Amino acid sequence: MEKYDVAIIGGGSAGLAALKRLSTLGKQAVLFEAGEKIGSKNISGGILYSKKPKKGKTHNVEDIYENFLTDKPYERRITKYVLHATSKDKVFSIDLTAAHEYEANFGCSVLMNKLNQWFLQQAQEAAEKQGGGIVSGVHVKDIRWEAGQTIVQTNELDEVAVKAIIAADGVNSEIAYMTGARQKFSPSQLYQGVKVVVKLPEGIMNERFSMGEDEGAAHLFAGDVTLDHIGGGFLYTNRDTLSVGAVYHLDSLLETPVEPYELVNALLRNPMVSDLIRDEVPVRGEIDKNLAKEEQMRIRFAVTKMIKTWTEMREAYHSKSERDRLVREGKYASPEEMEAQLSSIRDQMTTKYGMKFETDYVEAEYSAKLVPDGKRCRMERPYFKNILFSGDAAGRGIFVGPRIEGLNVGIDDAVRAADAVARALDKDNFDESYLGQYYSQSVGESPYTHDLKSIDKDYLKIFLDAAKDVPKDIINSKYGMVVKMMSSKTLRSFAVGFANILGYEKILPVIETVETYVKVPTELAERLGKSVSASYTPTIPSIAQRVAKLKFNDDSIPHIRVLKPTSEFMKKMTILCPTRCYLMEKNGVMIQHEGCVECGTCAEETEWSHPRGEKGINYQFG
Amino acid sequence: MDAINVAVIVKLEPDFSEGNVSYNPDGTLNRAETKNILGPHSAIAVNAAFYAKVKHGARISIGTMGPPVAESMLQYSQLISDADELYLYSDRIFAGADTLATAEVLKSGILKMQGKMDIVFSGHRASDGETGQTGPQTAWKLGMTFLGNVIDYEIDPESRTIRAKRLVRLQGIYDVVEEVEAPLPVFIAIDPSYKPKFNTVSQRLAYEKYQKEARHRAQDFKQYFKLFNAAQIEADPKLIGISGSPTIVYKVERIPKGKATRQAEIIDGSDQEQIRKIVAKMRQSLSTMVIK
Repeated sequence: MEKYDVAIIGGGSAGLAALKRLSTLGKQAVLFEAGEKIGSKNISGGILYSKKPKKGKTHNVEDIYENFLTDKPYERRITKYVLHATSKDKVFSIDLTAAHEYEANFGCSVLMNKLNQWFLQQAQEAAEKQGGGIVSGVHVKDIRWEAGQTIVQTNELDEVAVKAIIAADGVNSEIAYMTGARQKFSPSQLYQGVKVVVKLPEGIMNERFSMGEDEGAAHLFAGDVTLDHIGGGFLYTNRDTLSVGAVYHLDSLLETPVEPYELVNALLRNPMVSDLIRDEVPVRGEIDKNLAKEEQMRIRFAVTKMIKTWTEMREAYHSKSERDRLVREGKYASPEEMEAQLSSIRDQMTTKYGMKFETDYVEAEYSAKLVPDGKRCRMERPYFKNILFSGDAAGRGIFVGPRIEGLNVGIDDAVRAADAVARALDKDNFDESYLGQYYSQSVGESPYTHDLKSIDKDYLKIFLDAAKDVPKDIINSKYGMVVKMMSSKTLRSFAVGFANILGYEKILPVIETVETYVKVPTELAERLGKSVSASYTPTIPSIAQRVAKLKFNDDSIPHIRVLKPTSEFMKKMTILCPTRCYLMEKNGVMIQHEGCVECGTCAEETEWSHPRGEKGINYQFG
Repeated sequence: MDAINVAVIVKLEPDFSEGNVSYNPDGTLNRAETKNILGPHSAIAVNAAFYAKVKHGARISIGTMGPPVAESMLQYSQLISDADELYLYSDRIFAGADTLATAEVLKSGILKMQGKMDIVFSGHRASDGETGQTGPQTAWKLGMTFLGNVIDYEIDPESRTIRAKRLVRLQGIYDVVEEVEAPLPVFIAIDPSYKPKFNTVSQRLAYEKYQKEARHRAQDFKQYFKLFNAAQIEADPKLIGISGSPTIVYKVERIPKGKATRQAEIIDGSDQEQIRKIVAKMRQSLSTMVIK
């Protein structure tokens, strides 16, 4: 049997950071990723932060990857952060940029496929030097302890023996389930996030959001776009795409089920969002049915090709860096020449092929994922024997008011795990008391853990300052007292202190309610909001069309088995599955796993695992 | 223990994949319009050589007889195999060669490659010629043990032997897999069904490493590339080109088209209507079927 020092399971941001760190420390580690390639199963909202907490130290992305700030594998630095309360066509906005910048070096929007590919390059090079590396398309199916060895079994390769394992296999951590390190997270501990990536040429985006090349905007939404659920919507600017998504408490969705994509659709239909994502879209003209079949076919192909050429060229033209590159490489003499060619193609499309250009939006990818609410579900002891759990696998997502962080938490955890493992390797001691407990303590000391346990009164103040124009009478009697108390400095200190003693978890049900996410914002928008009108109605694709656009490598063996086809929970899956994999049949619900994006929404009452290596969903943006 | 040296002989062939191939009005191949690529069987042979690299760190030399444009095919071969040496045997007097004259050039070329070859791989056949003779003839000229239809192989670098599985097609009856062991060197014509398997973590890591190296090398492939003419490989002029070819293709006839017996019907309408019509059709034909 082959032997390696460390196995890292899962090639997301956490797993890759662990590999990079271990390799930098001169340790040998092999990372197993189930997806066809690194990044193919990862999605995020997403914003990646770099933090500078007042107390303690976080391991930030730029500390682990020296080239992060020069290579810029991210999309945009988020320089504007706004919360919008919505009600029909009315929007009331609160600038929360100060909250976004609180204790932060920076926060940047990211697309996981691209970002993790970059992490891969950095980590792989370092790992190879230590005799380790990355193996993708491999699904770990079992771990066992035998004769003092830890043996990792996969569906694809021969078994290997390792000394320690870092499990970074995400919110639906199979490693956690198979070892019994923790229970599956329950709906009350989870959020379900659904996102669409919308295309928009770079230059047009810069103009529309009034931002420069390395500036970006993040918009959060609450109010009627929630369709009365606890959670909210977001819109982040990437380089030449937008991430538009909805994140909701899973138990809130279970209480009053609504199709997850309808929550995104509600956001897309909001006039403000519609207007932000609008673009010019070519529409095919009717082809004369009287023409010969071959001629009809030829026209269809020609039109397809023209749309492709026009779209690609337009994207390049509206990107300063691409435009400069094409001119530098001599493809075009000048930007003006590009513009002229672009408009000549456009003319041809309209005059020769009867095409029209309409205002609409362009959706590129639909995705879904579960997000652990770290306040409620973080593992108190994130280890089991010689396995350390990091990031989503350990349930460590931060949701505090408008503060949403996961990637940086995972990276910080992973570095702590790598350091703990390196220390254990040096002493050749992998006992729980030496490895696991040390890691657990290190994670406990992380500023992120602190933020998950208690309210930060300074952060709260920023939030309250931003909302100071909100008329007090909107916040009804239930909150009036609280707000009044929180607005006064001395009382706030006292109240926060009291709340923290009482226990953060205990007061969450009072804060995270329909009242705060839906009613108050809706009323705010109605009374104070500005009317916004969109110049068009977006053509929103059906869920079938969205799924059809995704790339899958179907596994012939189902990876999900329904256990209780007639349970109330499973019946709700016919609505809550983001890709409509569940159908109601005579004998209860039935799953069609072909369109499964492996989000894990149904995991609670199913036998759930990821598909075998290389199989399943293969995201292109992430 | 000496390193394993493997060679691959490959062929530049028209790209027969859909959309890339172009025909003359009389139905023959329009060679000028059709792009040329690494033949699909040659690609399998290159993959088989790459397996030896991943498992044993073998040195790979790839050779081809062809026009100067074949260099881009060699570049592609390097990209998929991380080849250490690329050889193009190109000379006007090679023109008109049949399989035997081609084998003569390849034999002379292989003898000019760096190092003594332990294994020479060839594809099963070409997709344009389809004779499947060049490989065996080259083996014969080199005086090497020939193993055809190989679907799997393992090298023992210690004893310098090879164990290979051969797919023997007993036409019309059944297929058998024959396992043979032979001392190196051998000549292998790889079967189209060959698929390399990398079952261990170390192989997968080596695979990644060589793939990455291959991307670097292929970007700068000229550094690994050698162009030889007839004189440089010391090929006997009597045995190459037209004069070395005992066979000649004097006519290619089209295979007459069989009469189609299937009937096609185009169904129009909205998606809903189309599905309804198709289901109705299926019902109809199923009702006439007797299910035993």
